[in-house]
Amino acid sequence: MSSTDLERLMNKWLSAQEFYVVGKKVERADTIEKALGIARYMEDYYMRDMLVIKQVTSKYPHARILSIDDSQAKKVKGFLMNITAKNIPGENQVGYSIPDQPLLADKKVRYVGEPVSLVVASDFDSALEAAQLVKVNYDPLPYVLDPLEAMKRNDVLVHEETGSNIAFRTKVRKGDVEKGFSESHVVVENTYRTSHQDHIYLETEASIAIPNLEGKLTILSPSQYPHLTQKIVSRVLGLPASSIRVVVPYLGGGFGGKDDQGPLTSAKAALVAYLTKRPTFIEYSREESIAVHPKREATVIRYKSGADAEGKLKAIEVEIVHDTGAYANRGPFILWRATMHASGPYVVPNAKVDGYCIYTNKVYQGSFRGFGNPSVQFAAESQMDVLAEKLGIDPLEIRLKNILTPGATTITGQVLDSSVGVKEALEAAALKAGWKEKRKAYSSMEGRFRKGIGIGVAWHGISTSRGVPDWSAGTVKIELDGSVSVLVGIVEMGQGSPTSSHRQIVAEILGVPLDLVHVYFGTSDAPDTGATHASRGTGVGAIGVYVASIELRERLNSLAAKLLNTDPEDITIVDGVVRSKKDPSKSMPWKDLVKSAYSKGVSTTSSGYFFLPKGRFDDEMGQGFAYISYSYMVTITEVEVDTELGTVKVLKTYPAIAAGKIINPVQVEGQIEGAFVQGMGLALTEEFKFSEKGEIINKDLTDYVIPTSMDAPEIAEPIFIEDRFKYGPFGAKGVGEMALIPAPSSIANAVSHAIGKRVTHLPITPERVLKLLEGR
Amino acid sequence: MYYKLPEFEYKRAENLHQALDVLKEGDWKILAGGTDLILDMKIGRQSPKKILDITRLGELRYVRAYNGKMFIGGGSRLQELLENALVKEKLPLLSSAIYEMASWQIRNVATIAGNICNASPAADSAPPLLIYDAKVKLSSSSGSRTLPISEFFLGPRKTAISSYELLEEIEVPTLDGYFQWYYKLGRRHAFTLSVVSAAVALKIENGIFSDVRIALGSVAPKPVRAYTVENELKGKEANVSEIERAVEKVAEDISPISDVRASAEYRFKATKALLKEALFKGMKYFGGGSG
Ligand SMILES: Cc1cc2nc3c(=O)[nH]c(=O)nc-3n(C[C@H](O)[C@H](O)[C@H](O)COP(=O)(O)OP(=O)(O)OC[C@H]3O[C@@H](n4cnc5c(N)ncnc54)[C@H](O)[C@@H]3O)c2cc1C
Repeated sequence: MSSTDLERLMNKWLSAQEFYVVGKKVERADTIEKALGIARYMEDYYMRDMLVIKQVTSKYPHARILSIDDSQAKKVKGFLMNITAKNIPGENQVGYSIPDQPLLADKKVRYVGEPVSLVVASDFDSALEAAQLVKVNYDPLPYVLDPLEAMKRNDVLVHEETGSNIAFRTKVRKGDVEKGFSESHVVVENTYRTSHQDHIYLETEASIAIPNLEGKLTILSPSQYPHLTQKIVSRVLGLPASSIRVVVPYLGGGFGGKDDQGPLTSAKAALVAYLTKRPTFIEYSREESIAVHPKREATVIRYKSGADAEGKLKAIEVEIVHDTGAYANRGPFILWRATMHASGPYVVPNAKVDGYCIYTNKVYQGSFRGFGNPSVQFAAESQMDVLAEKLGIDPLEIRLKNILTPGATTITGQVLDSSVGVKEALEAAALKAGWKEKRKAYSSMEGRFRKGIGIGVAWHGISTSRGVPDWSAGTVKIELDGSVSVLVGIVEMGQGSPTSSHRQIVAEILGVPLDLVHVYFGTSDAPDTGATHASRGTGVGAIGVYVASIELRERLNSLAAKLLNTDPEDITIVDGVVRSKKDPSKSMPWKDLVKSAYSKGVSTTSSGYFFLPKGRFDDEMGQGFAYISYSYMVTITEVEVDTELGTVKVLKTYPAIAAGKIINPVQVEGQIEGAFVQGMGLALTEEFKFSEKGEIINKDLTDYVIPTSMDAPEIAEPIFIEDRFKYGPFGAKGVGEMALIPAPSSIANAVSHAIGKRVTHLPITPERVLKLLEGR
Repeated sequence: MYYKLPEFEYKRAENLHQALDVLKEGDWKILAGGTDLILDMKIGRQSPKKILDITRLGELRYVRAYNGKMFIGGGSRLQELLENALVKEKLPLLSSAIYEMASWQIRNVATIAGNICNASPAADSAPPLLIYDAKVKLSSSSGSRTLPISEFFLGPRKTAISSYELLEEIEVPTLDGYFQWYYKLGRRHAFTLSVVSAAVALKIENGIFSDVRIALGSVAPKPVRAYTVENELKGKEANVSEIERAVEKVAEDISPISDVRASAEYRFKATKALLKEALFKGMKYFGGGSG
């Protein structure tokens, strides 16, 4: 099919108005298994004869490795071997954006917790004991922990070869900021800080690798992108990708952490399986997970904004510093996203944004739901409130004056032609929340307990940025009995894309009953569908199966037209019944149509593929096409602050989302609720404390404090603004990350409202609240 | 979590008599719910060579009321105590404290004796027991002795029990006609260790504080009674200024530290705020002041 034909057909489905499964609250395929606890996760596949791997990790923030002595470990009964960088047959290089990161530390360690070697033993106890007995001799080096200090220093380098601790820089240059500020009625400037955040997925990192015949390997990998795992393993082992098969079981949570660490965990299991020719198992303990795997970046954001007397934004000047820790990992991409979203979802004529991704000798940063955006939206949204206050305008009004609408231009100069529903979302949420009345009522509260209400608005580019190629692919196969097998690389990590939205999309287009559609997901056997990240699991990840189904439906319509003696345009297929629209008495069951396809030579398999058309981006000026489309999210949140204890209670939040067509409202509601509560953790309690040596002190769930269900506020039923995206299945965009992004800003703005002082530092701990109240 | 547990000798007692017999040999570490001990062993804080499992001692699981006192078997699971109507009615402070402890899963295995014998400064059952002037019955093969709970705690993870003894029972006098108030300040609303915990019981007669009892957790090397504040208030008129004056004296009763959970400064402030809240509420309860 030509690409114009394809776009024509996609447009036809995009404008569909009637649906029988899409947009409905259908039950996902994995509900019962999960509710009963019989769904299998990585650990459930462990078998007794597998070799067990335990990591030996660095105790120094920065040191040269002099030698690794396993003579004591050898005395442990079940001990088999200790594998180091030297044993790696392929490349010991796993950096995703910059080749700066080894799988196992070679010559040097750069953070406390960095994996140095892999102890292999026949059982858990032996592996643990032997790992404790491996002695690594280090020559400690001077180290840097503070990113602002690291930026300036060249005498202590985390990576000598770079000559600087600045791993990556980004910028945006639009218009003339000096002119913009000079035309402003008010100019406000603040410095914002946010802290590291850990994913704390229920399931820690794990993997199984099984050697097969012909030198092939099968890997069970809780990772968010089977094909990336395949690529990393192939690089580390020096084997062709096609000899590595990856299968992703249900993930016990991903949130981006298993996008980064999943492939590395699997590479460790695969390395040992390759060297021993035996099945292997690795699983991180919670403490190990926290010490080893990348976190959401800690940030320092200096933000200056100017607006005219009416509240129209004139200029912003922003400096974003990300503490990337020991390795760049995806830090440059994260910084890039933060930079391009720095304005918030507003029109800003003049913008200057500079981003710095800084190496320090701490645990490294990585992907986490929101990907650099929650911190910068927190800064941007705080600035909006500060400007409003200075100008004596309501925070809602100032936002509505500047908000992006169809046809608006972003700070990167990208014109948003369609699918921009943020204004409607904001207005609807404000109405539902009773914004005006509450804002007024809470403003005059006195005494110990004070309430506040705050707005957070966010935008988020869907899928990969700039010209970075992005595509979707998937295979749909109609079996002889009429059931449908779907093969995709998208994984199931709780969000339900493959077990819900993909099935709904396929069922809707083919017209088959939903329970006949079975999705085989998360495997490298499927065409490369891209990663399950960047809120793309449905909006982009399902375009492949959408297109494959559309192609099949065309074939089936032609066949049905012949059989029912009408023309293809006249055919409808709904819930397993094939019919002529003009003469509904002409009909046949779906199963008979499929049998005819098999007997009359119509292929019932289709592999769908769609390459997203993208525009140009000029890195020098930071101008151009940044993202194919944006989702928008509003949360309006109410809090109560105990001004004596400094504690914050989140009372209620009102979410509104503009994410195109909502394929399954229940799934979206679940994503919004979970993301909001995770954002609450970032806003209120989650923070790592580091020792003088850069070691995380609170690397356990006793002292790293995530919210529980008892902390979760009432979350109003979300408002959906269906601003359809032209390439998404039925116009769907992305949802998964969305509510986390404005959650911290809405909470911080609400707390600031309650106490009459500006919050600039997350998390808003009771101590920080008391300090603000005391004016310190 | 796959830390290697150190190796140890293990025995399981089937009844109290057997348990005391084993303890006689010395050096046996008691394992009750294991929710403190096993974790300590995994992180290497404790590495006992000999472990005596007392989980089967059903005879240590009871709650009895007698003569204005409650008698709680040391092996009682926290969840059993939480679900016990007598505890709820007669020992509201203890019931509130247990309600906020750990999670349902942990409470189903954790014992009250374990919480006390572990002697963490943050042990949540301690402040209520200190308020009630509870006594612990320590038994060994050669007999039993009884100690006031305030003498039982010696410091962080240090108690007056000897290695031959087992905490068999807790004797808790009930309080009649008192205002009783408990608050656990943690870093979230459930399943968290205390930053400060406070239990208060008081009585006001004719506008005068006739009795004031204050116990605090996580603000000193061990759970403590705030005797200075209590004495400042006893016999004084129940009014706002007396309360504010007395609460300032809490500095003489506590010595909080700064740790990963909170700073000492914050713990001071929070303690004072909580005590004021409790005392004002108590005053209101007895119909005094406007708070
Ligand atoms: C996830 C989690 C959450 C927790 N939350 C809280 C909380 O909110 N508040 C809180 O206070 N604690 C909490 N704890 C700590 C712990 O659960 C409690 O202290 C519990 O009551 C300990 O009882 P146990 O039976 O498990 O004791 P064990 O671990 O079996 O024993 C603890 C100590 O007491 C000794 N011991 C036990 N029984 C006796 C006896 N009869 N005589 C003499 N010595 C004895 C043991 O030798 C050991 O030294 C938590 C623990 C976990 C794992």
